[in-house]
Amino acid sequence: MSIELRAITKSFGEVTVVRGIDLRIATGELCVLLGPSGSGKSTLLRVIAGLEEPDSGSVLLHGEDVTRGDPRRRGIGFVFQHYALFRHLTVAENVEFPLRVQKVPGPQRRARREELLELVGLVGYGGRRPGQLSGGQQQRVALARALAGSPRVLLLDEPFGALDARIRVELRHAIRRIHRELGITTVFVTHDQEEAFALADRLAVLADGRLLEVGAPSDLYLHPRQERVATFLGDANVLVGEASERGVRLGGVELPLGVTAEATPGGRVRVVFRPEDVQLGAASTGAAQLGLATVEEATFAGSFERLRLRLPTPPGVRGVAPPAPFGSAFVWLDAIRPQPDARRLPLQSGDEVQVAVRRVHVLSSAALRLLVLGSDDPPGPAAALAAALAERTPTTVSRAGATPPPDGWDLALFDLLPEGAPPRHLPGPEVDHLLFVTPGAALPRRILVCIAVGEPGKEDVSLAERLAWRLAAHVTVLTVLPGPPQEPPPHVRRFLDAAARALGRRGVEVTTRVRHGAPRREILSEVTEGRHDLLVTGAPVPPRGQPFGLHGLVERILAAPPCPVLVVRAMHPTSVPAADVEEPARSGR
Amino acid sequence: MRRRHNAVPGFALTFGATMLYLSLVVLIPLAAMLLRAASTGPHELFSAIANRRALAAFGLSFGGALLAAAIAAVGGSIAAWVLVRYDFPGRKLFDALVDLPFAMPTAVSGIALATLLAPQGWVGRALLPLGWKLAYTRGGVIVAMVLVSLPFIIRTLQPALADLPLDVEEAAATLGSGRLRTVATIVAPQLLPALGSGFALAFARAVGEYGSVIFIAGNLPGKTEIVPLLIVVELEQYDYAAATALGAAMLAASFAVLLCIHLLPRWMSRRRLAQAGG
Repeated sequence: MSIELRAITKSFGEVTVVRGIDLRIATGELCVLLGPSGSGKSTLLRVIAGLEEPDSGSVLLHGEDVTRGDPRRRGIGFVFQHYALFRHLTVAENVEFPLRVQKVPGPQRRARREELLELVGLVGYGGRRPGQLSGGQQQRVALARALAGSPRVLLLDEPFGALDARIRVELRHAIRRIHRELGITTVFVTHDQEEAFALADRLAVLADGRLLEVGAPSDLYLHPRQERVATFLGDANVLVGEASERGVRLGGVELPLGVTAEATPGGRVRVVFRPEDVQLGAASTGAAQLGLATVEEATFAGSFERLRLRLPTPPGVRGVAPPAPFGSAFVWLDAIRPQPDARRLPLQSGDEVQVAVRRVHVLSSAALRLLVLGSDDPPGPAAALAAALAERTPTTVSRAGATPPPDGWDLALFDLLPEGAPPRHLPGPEVDHLLFVTPGAALPRRILVCIAVGEPGKEDVSLAERLAWRLAAHVTVLTVLPGPPQEPPPHVRRFLDAAARALGRRGVEVTTRVRHGAPRREILSEVTEGRHDLLVTGAPVPPRGQPFGLHGLVERILAAPPCPVLVVRAMHPTSVPAADVEEPARSGR
Repeated sequence: MRRRHNAVPGFALTFGATMLYLSLVVLIPLAAMLLRAASTGPHELFSAIANRRALAAFGLSFGGALLAAAIAAVGGSIAAWVLVRYDFPGRKLFDALVDLPFAMPTAVSGIALATLLAPQGWVGRALLPLGWKLAYTRGGVIVAMVLVSLPFIIRTLQPALADLPLDVEEAAATLGSGRLRTVATIVAPQLLPALGSGFALAFARAVGEYGSVIFIAGNLPGKTEIVPLLIVVELEQYDYAAATALGAAMLAASFAVLLCIHLLPRWMSRRRLAQAGG
């Protein structure tokens, strides 16, 4: 084992960038760390290099613990995004630098330099200055320099980030070739999914400082466990359906597939299928028919055609990705097909076509998951409510003390009884939503959803929909406008109508309300007047790079909560719903 | 010459304006002085410069200015490094204070230095038991020169340091280079051009400094007297010939030193390139 990372954690000030990552990279392997910006992948690489010291955890290189060690003695080569060449030295001097440090005698040094310039395809450039080379050439010099000292591990930090698309592809081939020739253990950091596929022996997907999944690129693409991995690696259609005896039920269609053990028949399961698995046109054997869809958009993409389809939502199905417009009665599906197929069955916007799916893959549980924080001895209201919820809904309930919650939690419950105030320890970004429970809380029968008009509001409604449907509760959607009473502006009206439609779709009883005045006072009055027993509200969106916190209106409501409060956090950046409010006129189509 | 669209009108016009400006402000006054010096006989010229008092003044002016610029280069580099690389409370204030010697009449800083360094002053009193005496000595002259030339070093180094990417130093570390080697072979050479022009500016300012030096120097002929003061002394005795002779000599010497400072790094890098060309 060349590189072994054990429970690496690293914070910069308030912000934790790497959260307990374990990773082992075999000798001679080319491992790609893939993740969106801010996922902690570069920091992890710098920890391996010794340029950052982890707050906890250990780094082993070739079996030796180097956690606190000097980067100089690690035997690594590091390639930076912006080349980091010594601009006052020539190409030859740059490449010879590590050899001079190692006190390699002149003739050997020059021979080694020529060997490396040949390896990266820059023979004859030795006398030039970095400033006289193109970006791609500079990065080749940086690569030769990193390899000159014969390191045992090569680390590359988004090395092609600043380069043109064509040069990136060319350098990708160069990296693969060099890796094949030298057999050096290589770790490559990128946010480019295509680059990751092209390079990796093994792929590690990171998000929010956590390692989501590790595996061969094809494996992660075809059999991801988590929705975030599925949607980050290529385009994905994600639907929530129901587990059946033989497979997955999506509305009236049963897909005879192996279902993972965690889904019991009747339980909700999340399935993913890739655009290339969508089959258009006449029914054929082996593909499950989803129904008749309308072509929203068909675009030419070189060797294939890309389509977006609008499929009327089958009963009991929820669309997750690509995110359909708020309050719409359909799901969107992405499809691609080779050009010969496109010529055989030409389709354009507005056409209707039979849609089938060749292959679906089941993701891990789609159930609402609750995390109870705090001790359960004696059981407080949070634990009692969690148990009641678990009984009534397909909800997984887990208890956690002060330890960080396990991956992928949807909901965390906070007991307001012991402290009487929101606890200081809030779960990290792996928890989506927080439920604060007051003493004497029972299963909610009347839910009040307070929304600001806009994206976060849609998330509030969507979660309330899932809860209310399970609990057969009544929902009131409330918006508070500043100033004296007046007719609400049309976009507010439209938004409330869309919210009512979104909830009504599942048969949830809905009322919409508009109040005027100070938000906190109006919300509290509505809770009392409407005898509501659960308040759903959006969390403030933290500024980029800042941790998730509770401030403003939410903080003031939590200071003296009138009933249990569910704080809904906007979804992860990787799955932000991009669609707008659906116009009523169009949805009637 | 490239012809590209440029907001400022034609080369001929701007070049003409530049030359006119330079002539009026720099060349004509200097030429007048040189002409005046040339009109005096060579013997007279020689005797005005080649006497003990004048040579001592030249030695102090140029030797002192070079030493002061060197001291300022070291101190200024450290200050610039701190201001660019670290964030600490009061950094902005500290940064603004750097410019203060620019804005102060030099006589004010001279008086301030004299009161500080005098045997009764705060610093002078503290240095006395050590046997160090700065007021009215050559040491005092250099202290004054360092004070006025320091901002030039800091202000020329700051942008160069800010342009120096951190990842270059990290790269050196991953390649096995220790701190000392990184500073000597990576950081310092990249700062050398900026440091060179900063040094030249600092030297020029120190050589020309008059106001702050005369208060602290004591102005003992042959000992703590600088050339600018000597010129004033000659002028006060209506010896215009000697004054212009000294002025011309100073001009020539300053020009020679500045030329050397500018050419040295270029020559050094050319020699290094020739060595590396193998």
